[in-house]
Amino acid sequence: MRRILSSIRDGHGFDILLVAFPLGFLFLMAGLPLIYNAVMSFQEVDMFSLGTFSRPFVGLKNYRDLFAQPETWPILYNTLVFVVGSIAGQFLIGFGLALFFWVNFPGASWLRGLFLVSWVMPGLVVGAVWNWILSGDFGVLNFLLRESGIISGNIFWRSDPQYSLYAVIIANIWLGTAFNMILLSVGLSAIPGDLYEAAELDGANAWQRFWTITLPMMRSSIGAIIALGLIFTLQQFDLFAAITSGGPNNSSNVTQYWAWELSFRQYDFAKGATISVIMIVFVMFASVVYVRSTRHEVRG
Amino acid sequence: MTIRKFAVIGALALAGVSLMGLSAKAEDVTLTLWSLDKDIQPAPNLIKEFNAQNNGIKIEYRLIQFDDVVTEAMRAYATGQAPDIIAVDNPEHALFSSRGAFLDLTDMIKGSTVIKPENYFPGPLKSVEWDGKYYGVPKATNTIALYYNKDMFKAKGLDPNKPPQTWDELVEDARKLTDPAKNVYGLAFSAKASEEGTFQFLPWAQMGGGGYEHINADGAVKALETWKTIIDEKLASPDSMTRGQWDSTGTFNSGNAAMAISGPWELERMTQEAKFDWGVALLPVPKEGAERSSAMGDFNWAIFSSTKHPAEAFKALEYFVSQDDKLFKNFGQLPARSDISIPETGQPLKDAALKVFLEQLKYAKPRGPHPQWPKISKAIQDAIQAALTGQMSPKEALDQAAEKIKAVLG
Repeated sequence: MRRILSSIRDGHGFDILLVAFPLGFLFLMAGLPLIYNAVMSFQEVDMFSLGTFSRPFVGLKNYRDLFAQPETWPILYNTLVFVVGSIAGQFLIGFGLALFFWVNFPGASWLRGLFLVSWVMPGLVVGAVWNWILSGDFGVLNFLLRESGIISGNIFWRSDPQYSLYAVIIANIWLGTAFNMILLSVGLSAIPGDLYEAAELDGANAWQRFWTITLPMMRSSIGAIIALGLIFTLQQFDLFAAITSGGPNNSSNVTQYWAWELSFRQYDFAKGATISVIMIVFVMFASVVYVRSTRHEVRG
Repeated sequence: MTIRKFAVIGALALAGVSLMGLSAKAEDVTLTLWSLDKDIQPAPNLIKEFNAQNNGIKIEYRLIQFDDVVTEAMRAYATGQAPDIIAVDNPEHALFSSRGAFLDLTDMIKGSTVIKPENYFPGPLKSVEWDGKYYGVPKATNTIALYYNKDMFKAKGLDPNKPPQTWDELVEDARKLTDPAKNVYGLAFSAKASEEGTFQFLPWAQMGGGGYEHINADGAVKALETWKTIIDEKLASPDSMTRGQWDSTGTFNSGNAAMAISGPWELERMTQEAKFDWGVALLPVPKEGAERSSAMGDFNWAIFSSTKHPAEAFKALEYFVSQDDKLFKNFGQLPARSDISIPETGQPLKDAALKVFLEQLKYAKPRGPHPQWPKISKAIQDAIQAALTGQMSPKEALDQAAEKIKAVLG
């Protein structure tokens, strides 16, 4: 007894305690719901069996049914386009802005702070604002494009199946760029200045300095921001609800919105859970890649 | 010293209040009621009046958001914590009654002097029915009709007292009224991929001799073809496919659409915002003399079968129903009853509109009733959107919807 106590105070017991506490917390708050969700995807669930655990198991039926639906593959493809498009846009513009403010002209840090306005706005508000900007008949974006001669007729961003997904991507890029910029700015300022001085003395030009110093030194920041971007885009729901509701004809529907639609619009909880499980698999895969890519990182 | 004195007085007062509270609770039957009505809407006010009667029944009110009504209610029922009374959207009524979650009120209604089935419009009444029994009482009702801008009719040489009567006339008039140079569309409506889309399309299908059980009837296909013509020729904004009725009618109010299909919930805003002469007409029919139909919206009262006080809960419903005649005056909602004449508001445009809506209500048909309504509705929404975006022909889209609905109906 005493040995156990002393080990807890100072020894392996303490380590175990340290590990057990967050693990227990994670298991309770994230693990159990995840497991419950996975179990639900193998069951037949309706509104009236929601409150009980003993529901009939149906094996892989939910999965088979899901993939038999004609809209499943297009929606998975939309999700891919949305994730890749959003992350690429957010990252490239965010990185560009971070480099721009890194020049440190007068007022740079102030202006950089102001860019965060887009990030602190709630998704539904952003959605409502973009709803007006993207509106077909009286939208600001159409007005600008028309006046500058880029388009001749209005583009119905929200209602044309060819554009609807991109309408949401544009809004999402706007929403996430500032966050990318801030994290990347932090990464940039952590790079020691003498590295650049040395490189400059050795005659490296700006492009070479960027390519051989900035990018390699930013590796872990970039890895983190892309992993976070993946998480944020996969949980982006408000913009879909506010701008297109996944329409028209599912052309802008993505898995996260579809899961909600199935569960809480059609009360098909099992299918909603099934989609969530598929999403979990993808997120797991992405996080493994992320963890592996930053494991050998040595911070400069 | 003084602080102590206050503390003692305070404690005494508290004790007194809680004692009184306790004694009141011991006698009263307490009911819980859930609805989505906010302060200025019927439920909380009716409850206040009901509680003021001090008849031994107290109602506690809980506000739930529109999106949460069904899920909250289901979860509560499944875990044995359902309220005694709930207001539920009419297409979702059957979901509960078919599973025995709502109390069968047929016998109580038979013995009631206040609630009489013959007083109700057939549409709303049918929505509370399941298997020939009554599982609720209509709370209020609404429907859709055609709003039109009389000034624009005049400007385009159309007779402002002859709104379109048939689908062909509607399309014809819309063509004449559409004026891209002035940013004016002929018509505003909603074909959104949500319950609103079904709400707007189903009456057309029903007028064409279809219905949710045979959504691919020839008349229903014709209806969708008419919608497609309207969208393809840009007689209505392509954004109709992602816009709800409220936003669509907003473009009518601002003079960017010459006609709009929507319900009486627009009247208040329209009287304030629309700076032109407008009128309301019955929904156009496929051809002259064809059967009329319209959508039917709004909520129903129901009592959960798990209630411990069915008699008291029914008494509360009787009180609510007895106040139906003030529903429009106080809250701007239409009672679901044909025996109540709604007093004039003094605003001629509004009064004329009301008459049309009350006439239209006679033809209003419920969505369903069917316990799997959301799935049926989804199939219809998919068909509308597939056809209007040109990914399928109206016939193909409705055939596919019929197939999906058949699978649901079993």
